[in-house]
Amino acid sequence: MEYILKNGVVFDPKNDIDGEQMDIFIKDNVIVDKVSSKAKKLDVSGKLVMPGGVDLHSHIAGPKLSIGRLYRPEDIRKGIKPASKNDISGFEAGFSLPTCPTIGYRYTKMGYTTVTEAAVPPLEAKHAHEEINSIPNLDIPTLTLFGNNWFMLKYVKEKRFDDLKVFISKWLKLAKGYGIKIVNPCGSEAWGWGKNVDGLDDPEPHWGVTGREVIQALTEVNEKLGLPHSVHVHTNDLGHPGNYATTLETFDCVKHIKKNENVDRNQIMHCTHVQFHAYKGTSWRDVSSGASELIDYINKNDHLTCDVGQITFDETTTMTADAPMEYDLFRLTGLKWANKDIEVETASGLIPSIYSSHAPVSVLQWAVGLEFFMGVKDPWKIVLTTDSPNGGPFIRYPRIISWLMSQEKLQDMLDNEVHNWATNRTDLGTYDREYSWNEIATITRAGPAKILGLTDRGHLGVGAKADVSVYDIDVDKFDCTLKSNSETLENKLLNSKYTIKDGEILVKDGNIVKLVNSNHIWCNVLGLENEEKVLIDRIKPEFNKYYTIKYENYGVNDHYIQPDTRMDVNYGGEL
Amino acid sequence: MKVINLVMTKKSSISLEFDNILPELLFDKSLRQINETIIYRGNKEEPLSHYFDVSIEGECDDAKECAIVIDGDLSRVKRIGFAMTCGKIIANSDVDFHVGACMSGGHIIVNGDAESYAGREMTGGLLEIKGSVKEFCGSSYAGEWRGMSGGQIIVHKNAGKQLAEYMIGGNIHIKGDCDILAGVHMSGGKIQIDGNVNQWFGGQMKKGTIIINGNVEKMLPGFVLEESIYHPLINGKQFIGKYGLYSGDKTVKGKGRIWIKK
Repeated sequence: MEYILKNGVVFDPKNDIDGEQMDIFIKDNVIVDKVSSKAKKLDVSGKLVMPGGVDLHSHIAGPKLSIGRLYRPEDIRKGIKPASKNDISGFEAGFSLPTCPTIGYRYTKMGYTTVTEAAVPPLEAKHAHEEINSIPNLDIPTLTLFGNNWFMLKYVKEKRFDDLKVFISKWLKLAKGYGIKIVNPCGSEAWGWGKNVDGLDDPEPHWGVTGREVIQALTEVNEKLGLPHSVHVHTNDLGHPGNYATTLETFDCVKHIKKNENVDRNQIMHCTHVQFHAYKGTSWRDVSSGASELIDYINKNDHLTCDVGQITFDETTTMTADAPMEYDLFRLTGLKWANKDIEVETASGLIPSIYSSHAPVSVLQWAVGLEFFMGVKDPWKIVLTTDSPNGGPFIRYPRIISWLMSQEKLQDMLDNEVHNWATNRTDLGTYDREYSWNEIATITRAGPAKILGLTDRGHLGVGAKADVSVYDIDVDKFDCTLKSNSETLENKLLNSKYTIKDGEILVKDGNIVKLVNSNHIWCNVLGLENEEKVLIDRIKPEFNKYYTIKYENYGVNDHYIQPDTRMDVNYGGEL
Repeated sequence: MKVINLVMTKKSSISLEFDNILPELLFDKSLRQINETIIYRGNKEEPLSHYFDVSIEGECDDAKECAIVIDGDLSRVKRIGFAMTCGKIIANSDVDFHVGACMSGGHIIVNGDAESYAGREMTGGLLEIKGSVKEFCGSSYAGEWRGMSGGQIIVHKNAGKQLAEYMIGGNIHIKGDCDILAGVHMSGGKIQIDGNVNQWFGGQMKKGTIIINGNVEKMLPGFVLEESIYHPLINGKQFIGKYGLYSGDKTVKGKGRIWIKK
C-alpha cells in the first residue's frame, strides 16, 4: 500500500526538519522519496506530523502487572470505556494498570508505535511475552534484568568477565531480551536477606559484590557485545533523601569505559527515572532537590543519557524490581503492598501511590522532574517518561508536554495549584524555558530511538520504518504557550488524527481502525554460539540446583514471539 | 415536583441495570424520551419501555424536585440509584445488588429488602431500607481501602456480613441484628446497631465509632475496656443505660471506640 501525507508540518529532528511543510511518502512499510500515481493521498495540510512515538521505559507486560491487577481491582474500575458497535477495538479498562489490549489502544491513539517493557526477569519472560501477544499495535523490546542475578554476581566476584559476556549473550536469547537492565544492583538481592545496600560501595551480604562492580562489569560486557542499547540503570537508593550523591557516583563510575564503535548511540549508560534519584537532605522533613548537580553533570558529559520519570499528580501504582524500596514506601504510607521473590534473579514489589498537588513530597518530586526537563540543555540526552505507571500512567504524557510547552501554565501551577515546596525547595521557578515542537519530537521520538539503538525509527528519512503520527493541531495557528490551550493540547495529543505503523493506518481521527499483532524486538548476538554451549554445559548443574525449574523449560520458545523482530548483533571480538 | 412512575410489566430472567434511571438524568425528559432510555439487560441495550410502564405527574426545573417511584418485583433490578447525586427514588419492592452504591446525594427509600453491596462507597445522601440488607452494606468495593465516606444508611431490619468494611465517614444505623465482621478496617464514621452482633466486629479498626445496643458474641482481643459509663453522650447524642467503652484495635495501634450496652 502506498500513501502520501500531503502538506503536513513535519518535525523530524534527526533529519534536521523543523516544522517544514512537506509531503511524506510511504510505500509498504518504509518511508520513500516517491510513490506511484496510485498512492492514496491523506490531506494533513498544516497538521502536526512527527515520527511514531518511542517510549524507552514503561512497564506494560509481565508478572508485576498481573500481580498489580489482582491486587488492585479498584484500579481496573477506573477508565472503563465500553466499546461501541462501530469500534474495531474492544472495551477499555484500568488507569494505572490497564488491561493488556487497553495498553495497546491507548498508546496507539497517542501516536506511539514503539514501547519498551523496562524490566523482565528471565524466569518470567515467557509470561511477559505472552502478555505482549495480548497487547495490539506496538513494537515492544523488553529489557532483561541482570543487576541481581546470582550467576552474574558470581562471575563479577570471581572476575570472570568473559564468562559473564557469554552468559549475557545466552540469557538474552533465552529471555528474548533486547538489552541489559540493572535495578538497584545488589540491593534487590540483599532484600533476600531482609536487607538493602546503602550506596554504590556497600557489598551485597552473600556475594560481597558492590553495585559499582556490577554496573562497571555489565557496562563493559554491554560494550564488548556491541548491544544496540546501553546498560539501562535504575541506580541504588531510589527515593531516599540524599540519594543524589549515589546517582552522581553512578554517573561517573562508567566514564572510563570505552564505547563500542559499531553502535549508533552516543551513551554507554542510560540512567532511568532520574527524578526519583535526585534528592538532597537526610529525611523527608529536610528533603530538597538535588537535580541541579545532576543536570550540571549531564550537561557536561556525553557518556550518559537519562529519562525523567515525571510525577503527574495521580493515584497510581508503583511496581519495581527494587523490592526493598517498595517496603520503604509501605512503611511510609501504610498502604497495601506486595512483594515477590524471583528465584536466583531478582526481587519485586508493588504498592499504590497517591501523588497529590497538595502533598509537599509529591510536589517536590513533580518539580524535580520538571527541573530535569528544563535544565538538561541537549534534548537528545533526556527522554519523556513517567516510568509508567510509577510516576503516573503513560496517558499523562500529553499533559506533561502541555506543561513543557507553556511557561504560563507552569507558572500558574506554581503560583496557584501546588504546594510551596516546589518553589522553596527546588530551582524550578528559576527556569523560563518553553519546549518547541522540535524538542518535543526529540524527547519523545528521535532521542529515545537513538538511545535504544533502533536506527530504523524515530525519524522520517528515506528508508525509515513507516511509523508516523499526525495530530489535529494546526501548528501555525495553535498557540501551545497559552495556559488556556493546555487542556485542548492534551486532548489532541491523546487522540491522534492518524497513527501509521509499518505503513498501515491504525488510528484515524482518534479511533482505532486496525489491530495488528505487536512485534517482539530482541537481540541475537552472533559469534558466541560455541562459547554459550560450553558455558551452559558447565552451569547446568548449578542451574538445576538453584532453580525450581529445569533448564530445558526455562527459555522463551520461538512460538511465544510471533511476529518476531530479531535484531542480529555481530560480536566482533574484544575491543 | 415531578414524579416519574415506573411499573414493571415484564420480569427479566437476568438482572436489569438501572444506572441510567436517576432523577438528574430524567427530570427534564419527556415521556417518550424516558420510555426510550437505555437500560442494560446483561450486555444488551434495551429501552426502559420493554420492561416498565412509565407515567409522569407534575413538572420541575431542578433534579432535586424530581422523584422516581418504581413498582413491581424489583428483585432482578440492579444498581438502583447508583452514583445518584440528588432527587429521590422510592422502590416499592425488594431490590437487587448495588442499590445506592456510590451515591453522593439525594434520598433512596427501599420498601423491602436489599441484596448485597447496598450503599457501597457512598459519599453523601440518605439510603433508607425498610427491610434487611445482605453483605457489604456501606463497604468498599474489592481492593479499595476507602469505603463509605459520607451520608447516611438506615436499615430497619438486619444487616449481613462485612457491614461498613473500610468505612471512613458517614453514619449507618442498623435497627436489627448484624452478622460477622461489622466495621472491620474502619477508620472513621459511626455505626449504630440496635440488635445483636455476631463476632469479629471492629477488627483492625483504626478510628470511628461503633455503638451496639444488643448482645455481642465476643470481643476481639485487640480491644481494651476503658471505662463503663451510664447514659453516655456519644457524638452529641445521649444513650440511655450503662455502656462499656472499648478502644482498639490495638493490633494495628487503632484508636477506634466501641460502645456496648451492658
